[in-house]
Amino acid sequence: MYRDWLNLVSEKGEGIVKAVLWAQFAKDKRNPVVILLYIAGCILAALLFAGGVQSPSVIAIFSEEENASEIEKKWEALLNTDDSLQFVIVDPEEARENVRKGNAEVAVELMQMDYRLIAASEELPSVSYVQQHVGIVFQQEAQINAVESSGGSNVRQEIENYLEDAPFQLEARGLDSEAVPQYNMSTQLLYAFTFLISMFLLGFKVNNVTNDKVSGVWNRMILSPVSKTGMYSGYIFYSFLITMFQLVSVLIVFKYVMNYEIGDNLWLIILISAFFTFSMISIAMLITGFVKSPEQFYAIYPSVIPLVPLISGAYMMPGTITNSALVFIADLFPMAHAMEAIMSVVFYDAGLQDVMMSLMVMLLIGVVAMGIGINLMERRRG
Amino acid sequence: MLETINVSKSFKGKKAVQDVSLYLDNGESVGLIGPNGAGKSTTISMISTLIKPTSGEIKLNGANTINKPEKIRKILGVVPQELALYQELSAYENLKFFGSIYKMKGNDLEKRIQRALEIVGLADRQKDLVKTFSGGMKRRVNIAAALLHRPQILILDEPTVGIDPQSRNHILETVRALNEKDGTTILYTSHYMEEVEQLCDRLYIMDYGEVIAAGTKAELLSILQAEDTVKAELSKMDEAFIQQVKTIDGVRKAEASHLQLKIIAKKGSNLISELVHLADQHQLQIINFHTETPSLEDVFLHLTGRTLRD
Repeated sequence: MYRDWLNLVSEKGEGIVKAVLWAQFAKDKRNPVVILLYIAGCILAALLFAGGVQSPSVIAIFSEEENASEIEKKWEALLNTDDSLQFVIVDPEEARENVRKGNAEVAVELMQMDYRLIAASEELPSVSYVQQHVGIVFQQEAQINAVESSGGSNVRQEIENYLEDAPFQLEARGLDSEAVPQYNMSTQLLYAFTFLISMFLLGFKVNNVTNDKVSGVWNRMILSPVSKTGMYSGYIFYSFLITMFQLVSVLIVFKYVMNYEIGDNLWLIILISAFFTFSMISIAMLITGFVKSPEQFYAIYPSVIPLVPLISGAYMMPGTITNSALVFIADLFPMAHAMEAIMSVVFYDAGLQDVMMSLMVMLLIGVVAMGIGINLMERRRG
Repeated sequence: MLETINVSKSFKGKKAVQDVSLYLDNGESVGLIGPNGAGKSTTISMISTLIKPTSGEIKLNGANTINKPEKIRKILGVVPQELALYQELSAYENLKFFGSIYKMKGNDLEKRIQRALEIVGLADRQKDLVKTFSGGMKRRVNIAAALLHRPQILILDEPTVGIDPQSRNHILETVRALNEKDGTTILYTSHYMEEVEQLCDRLYIMDYGEVIAAGTKAELLSILQAEDTVKAELSKMDEAFIQQVKTIDGVRKAEASHLQLKIIAKKGSNLISELVHLADQHQLQIINFHTETPSLEDVFLHLTGRTLRD
C-alpha cells in the first residue's frame, strides 16, 4: 500500500516524497547512533523513573536483646506484609554503620514488644513511611497480646478465622459488572517517558526542514518541478516513520523482552501512538514556524517539551489536576488525549470505538497546528 | 531571452533592490558585480523565482515568469552562494538526490551524475563524503548539482567565495567551458572584478540596490577614457597632503592605501608637476609613480567613490 501511494505520488510529479525519504534515511544510516540512543534512552527512562525494575526498599532489622534471634525472626515475619518494604535481618553493627555512612536511611532495632528507629535524620521521607508501617504492626501485635493476656486464648487464630469470613465483605465492580482493574502508575509513567523521548526525536527530525532552508537545499527543491506539498510531505512522513520505528521498537522490547504490563491490545496502542506522533509532529512544525534558525529551535524546543507531560498530568494519577485552566491547557496538547486513550486500552480494555474521540481530537490538533506552522514558515519566506 | 524590467524588492519597507533592468541573450555570459550588500543576491533570487519582486516584471522570451515560474525553473540552474548540499552524504549521493527531485531515474540519472562530476573534475572522489571535502571541492559539487538537468541558463552567485586559487581557477574554467562549448547562458555574480572581466561579455555594476552602469567591458572602460589614473608611492603618508592633492585642478579622486596614493584626474591635467611641488612643500619623497591604464576596478571606484571590497 505504501509503495502504491509513493507511485501514485510519483505519477503526479511528486517523487520528492520518495527522494526526501531516501536522503533523510541515508543521513541517519550514516549516523545511526542518534536513533539508537533515543531507543536506549526511552528504555532507560522507563527503568529509572517508571519503576520498570521496581524492587522493594530494603530495611535492616536487628535485635540486641538476649533472645535476639527469636525476636528478629518473630518480627521479620510480622513486618514483611508490605510489597514496597522488605525487612531483612542484619548484624547490629553493620546496620548502624550503614546508616552512619549514609548507605541506608533507616534501620530498626527490635525489642520484645518495642522498637527503635535508627536514622540519620527524621526529615527523610522514608523514615516516616517506615515508622508508620512498623508502628501499625507493633500496635496490632500489642492489642492481640493485651487480649490474650486478659484471658483470651488463641486470639490470633480466631481473628484470622473471623477475617476470612467477615460479616461485611467489600467487592468493587465497575459499571459493566466487571471487576475493577487495578490501576498501575508504573505503566502510566512508562508510557509518559516513552512519549517524552519520542517527542524529542520527532522534533529534531522536523527541524530538518529549517536546517535545509538555511543550507539552501530547500531552495534547490523549490526550483525543481515539485510542489511544496510534496516537499513538506516528505519531511513530515520521514519524521513520522522514524518516530514510529522508535516507539514500536521500545513497546516491543517492553512487552516481549522485559515482560512489562503495557496492555494486550498492542495494535490499538500503536494506532494511538501513530495519532499522537502525527499530532506532535504538527506541534513541532508550529514551533518551527516561530523560529528563524535551527539553533533557535534547538534552544526552544527542548525547553518546552518537558513541560508537556507535566501539564498533561502524565506523571500523576488521573484526576490529580482539577484546575479548569490547567485542564484546558492540557487538552490543547495531544499527550493528555494519548495518555487517556492508552490507559483506557491498557486498564479498561477499551476498543477502537471507545478511543475514537481521543484519536479525532489528536487529529484535529494535528491539522490545525500543521496548518498554522506551515503558513507561518511560508509567510516568513515572503 | 530573459529580462527584468524595473524590478524592485523591499523587505519591511526597506528597499533592497530598486528598478533593476537587465537582460540576458541566448548564449551570453553576463556579469553582475557589486560590493557585499549591493543587491546582487536579491536580484538573482527574483530572477530564479525564489522570491517575488515588490514591483516590476521578469520575462522569459516575452512571457511573464512571476506568476508562472514553472517555465523558467525548467531551464534554470542556480548555484547558490551557500553550500546547498547534505554534508553527511557523498558527492554521488547528493547528486542522486538532486537528480531524483528532477524526476530523473535509472541509467539517465546515472549518466547525468557522471557527466556533472566530470565537468567539475570530481569523478574520482564521488564516493567521498562532502564533509571531508575542501572548500573548493564542496563548491564544485554545488555547481554539479545545478547542472544535472542541463539548464539553458546557469546563475552562479559568488561561486568562488572563500576558496583556494587552484579551485577558483578550476571553477572559472568550468564556467567558461559551459558557456563556450555547451552554449549555456551564464549570469555570474561576484565582487571579484577580475573574475567577471575574465568570464563575461557584458557587465552590470550594482551598488546600493541599483544598477549604476551596464555595458561591455570596452563600453564601461570608455567612461574613464577622459581620465588618467596615477599611482604614486610616498615615503610617508600625510593627511594634509592628500587633502591638498584633491584640490589640484582636474583631480576627481584621490585615495590612499598604506604608502600608495591613487589619483584619478582629467586627461591633460598638470598633475605630475603639481604633485611633485606639493610633496616638496610637505617634505615628502615620491619614491616612484606611474600612469595606469584604467581597469574595471577603476570604473567602479569612479562610479561609487569606493572599491569593490570596501
